[in-house]
Amino acid sequence: MTADLSMIQITLLTLLAAACGIDPYISGLQLSKPAIAGFLAGLLMGDIQTGLVVGSTLQLMVLGVGTFGGASIPDFATGAIIGTALGVVSGKGIQFAIGISVPVGLLMVQLDVFARFCGVYFVHRVDKHIANMEFQKINREAWLSLIPIGLSRAIPVGISLIFGNQVVNAVLKYAPDWLMGGLKLAGAVLPVVGIAILLHYLPVNKFMAFLIVGYLLAAYMKIPMMGIALFGLVCAMVHFNGLTEKQKATPAVAVSASSEGEITDDEL
Amino acid sequence: MMNSSEHKQLTDKDLRRVNLRYMFGGQLGWNYERMMNVAYVHAILPAMSAMYGEDPEVLRDMLQMEMQFYNTSPFLSAIITGIDLSLQNESGTQSKDAVAAIKTGLMGPFAAVGDSLFGAVIPTIFGSLAAYMGIKGNPVGVLLWLLAAVVILGLRYFELPLAYREGKKLVSNVGNLLNNLTDAATLMGVLVIGGLIPTVVKVVVPFKLTIGKKALSIQTDMLDQILPAIVPIALVALAYWLLGRKHLNSTRVIWIFLLGSIVLYSLKLLAVGA
Repeated sequence: MTADLSMIQITLLTLLAAACGIDPYISGLQLSKPAIAGFLAGLLMGDIQTGLVVGSTLQLMVLGVGTFGGASIPDFATGAIIGTALGVVSGKGIQFAIGISVPVGLLMVQLDVFARFCGVYFVHRVDKHIANMEFQKINREAWLSLIPIGLSRAIPVGISLIFGNQVVNAVLKYAPDWLMGGLKLAGAVLPVVGIAILLHYLPVNKFMAFLIVGYLLAAYMKIPMMGIALFGLVCAMVHFNGLTEKQKATPAVAVSASSEGEITDDEL
Repeated sequence: MMNSSEHKQLTDKDLRRVNLRYMFGGQLGWNYERMMNVAYVHAILPAMSAMYGEDPEVLRDMLQMEMQFYNTSPFLSAIITGIDLSLQNESGTQSKDAVAAIKTGLMGPFAAVGDSLFGAVIPTIFGSLAAYMGIKGNPVGVLLWLLAAVVILGLRYFELPLAYREGKKLVSNVGNLLNNLTDAATLMGVLVIGGLIPTVVKVVVPFKLTIGKKALSIQTDMLDQILPAIVPIALVALAYWLLGRKHLNSTRVIWIFLLGSIVLYSLKLLAVGA
């Protein structure tokens, strides 16, 4: 099934990439997460299976890694869109799609930094409008600031899809087995980095016992992930009740301190 | 306290407009210089115009104050907005310094709670489910995550009215609740990660040791007997250690693992497992 992408598909996938890119700036509907972007790309390509597997594999590499304080992380959502589209249209399959999407996602970091850098231009425009007392122009600048972010996703996706099969053929022609096989292995290995980043971010030492419980449930008892998550929910509820009880026992200090602060603030 | 300045009182309609701008545009104009300040000012603009619109110079001065550096969790930002607006509605321009101080004082704590809850823990739990099911071609996990994202967006509607009504009283009450919630959700996230390591990282050592006539598979005859998923555990430990090094950030560690995979694949030391 070596067909070219239709113009409509290219347009829709390009718009999808832009939408996934700007979603965190609008409502945070998680469209920028690779699993969701991959699923939506699969939907547009008429091959949900490929989109899901590609997106899910990439998702595991950036599990729970957010862009806190403006740090740029690999953009595997864009990677998933390009990988899914090229994987489906070339008929080369899921592993090939993952092999393409990993380097794409990594290279996208530089573009993300560049696009975010454009934000400085808009903040100075807003400063100027306020100084000139042209307040309604603030709205325009706020929304225009999405253009660089959207284009930083739409342009690479559009270009690589327009040249779809040429790109795939070039990759196949010049990428030897050690590279494609290595990328395939990397697709399986890289989730450990996502997990390790999370372990750095979360208070693992405090909850080490629960990390081990999760491992035991999966490795020895073979409980599916949904069951493990629900087991975690039960533990979380017990822990939450324990914390609330403990605070009820010693509330006096916290309340008096905060109400004091309130009075002084009211005087201002 | 008396309403001493001559600004107009806010109406429910003004607040609703602010709320919609927060829910649909909460990080517009993000920039490296003052981060979320453009989105903040864009959101409160209808309320600010309603209060001070009659005197553009007052409005200008107040907006210039609001353009200060602002960075917090985009999922909890409206709590700060609500407190800000309730102060201004009460005291008008006299609250200028207090508003600036309160925004600066609250954005750190709310960033800490919001980033771990909405930036790390919830994406971990739903991302794990979505990926675990998605790898098998099952879209239920992804749909569940999208549904959760819509529900969370819906819940964010209540932050602003609540914070506006309660004002500064809210901080101590909500602060404790959010901290407990984050701690409990973190426990759940850690447990899910524990289950994730042996289920989704499918990497094995492929070579067999031949002693005389007997072929010994390193993976099934040795490693699996010690501990299931021992290779993934070792790799996670290695990545964890690398991330702790001074000159390595997450992107560099990903590159190291990417290149390492290519090398180890060529040497036939590691392979994708079943």
